[in-house]
Amino acid sequence: MTMNNGSALAEPKAPAAPAAPAEVFQQLGLITRQLHDALVQLGVMPKLQQAADGLPDARSRLNYIARKTGEAADKVLNSVDSAKLEHTHISEATRRIAADIVADPVKAVASGAVMNFVNDVESATHRIDLHLTDIMMAQDFHDLTGQVVAKVVTLAGELEDNLVKLLVQAAPPEQAHKVELGILHGPVVDPEARSDVVANQGEVDDLLASLGF
Amino acid sequence: MSQATDLKFLVVDDFATMRRIVRGLLKEMGCHNVEEAEDGAVALARLKAQKFDFVVCDINMPNMTGFDLLKAVKGDNMLKHLPVLMVTAEARKEDIVLAAQSGAAGYIVKPFTKATLEEKVTKIVQKMGATA
Repeated sequence: MTMNNGSALAEPKAPAAPAAPAEVFQQLGLITRQLHDALVQLGVMPKLQQAADGLPDARSRLNYIARKTGEAADKVLNSVDSAKLEHTHISEATRRIAADIVADPVKAVASGAVMNFVNDVESATHRIDLHLTDIMMAQDFHDLTGQVVAKVVTLAGELEDNLVKLLVQAAPPEQAHKVELGILHGPVVDPEARSDVVANQGEVDDLLASLGF
Repeated sequence: MSQATDLKFLVVDDFATMRRIVRGLLKEMGCHNVEEAEDGAVALARLKAQKFDFVVCDINMPNMTGFDLLKAVKGDNMLKHLPVLMVTAEARKEDIVLAAQSGAAGYIVKPFTKATLEEKVTKIVQKMGATA
């Protein structure tokens, strides 16, 4: 696009609102240019852009992990509930047949109660075995999500590196090492390497005891 | 003295799986009267609407954290008697001290065992009986 008259830009014919001082626009333009130049010089702009582009992908991967782990947990808990019911059934049937045998062994056998019990146990153990297999199979989420986690970790690492570079350059020196205290940190991955966290329930109890609890 | 099995529990955690696990463990301890809430705000509304005897509460939750729920419970004359057991992945000493100072009855870090939950619940219930 060619511009025939540069002054047309500097002096608009009919401004809709009162014009801001020209120095303000000049300053804003200068700051924008300096920021852009600084980012390009730091080499973080293209990498940051690349990392930011990967965020939607990371979000969908994390959703996938959440879904898979949730499904696996539900499957396991359902199987455990069912297996526990079978176990309770066997325990009660065992107590009943034991009482019957003690009371009248001949009648217990002759009436078919013993054989019914044996068949019952066989069926129940088969069903429990199926539940255990379901629990085992539910662990497949680990393999699937493990691969996805590795990719997200790589992406997060790249993004972190670039953001840290940017922050170190942009932050005033006295602010650089400040940590936001208001946020909750969640599970601690490496408690041994830190002195501000507890590593186990025993340490929680010791700390609370030292406070008089 | 009241037994844990006689009490009505509210389990507060944003993860349905964890609520289910805690409910299951309480059930194995003989505590069958257990209800659930998915965050602090839902829990507070439920605590004001119904009578509960014991709260088992996560900390890191959306809408209203466990700390905020704990402070709301302890700041409410009708609810402040309720024991609140924190069950959380927050392992910073600062958080444990804050929970204790805010009136938590106990603090369990995840991952935890059935024995730990049973021990803490029993201890708190005994203390409730002693102070009742």
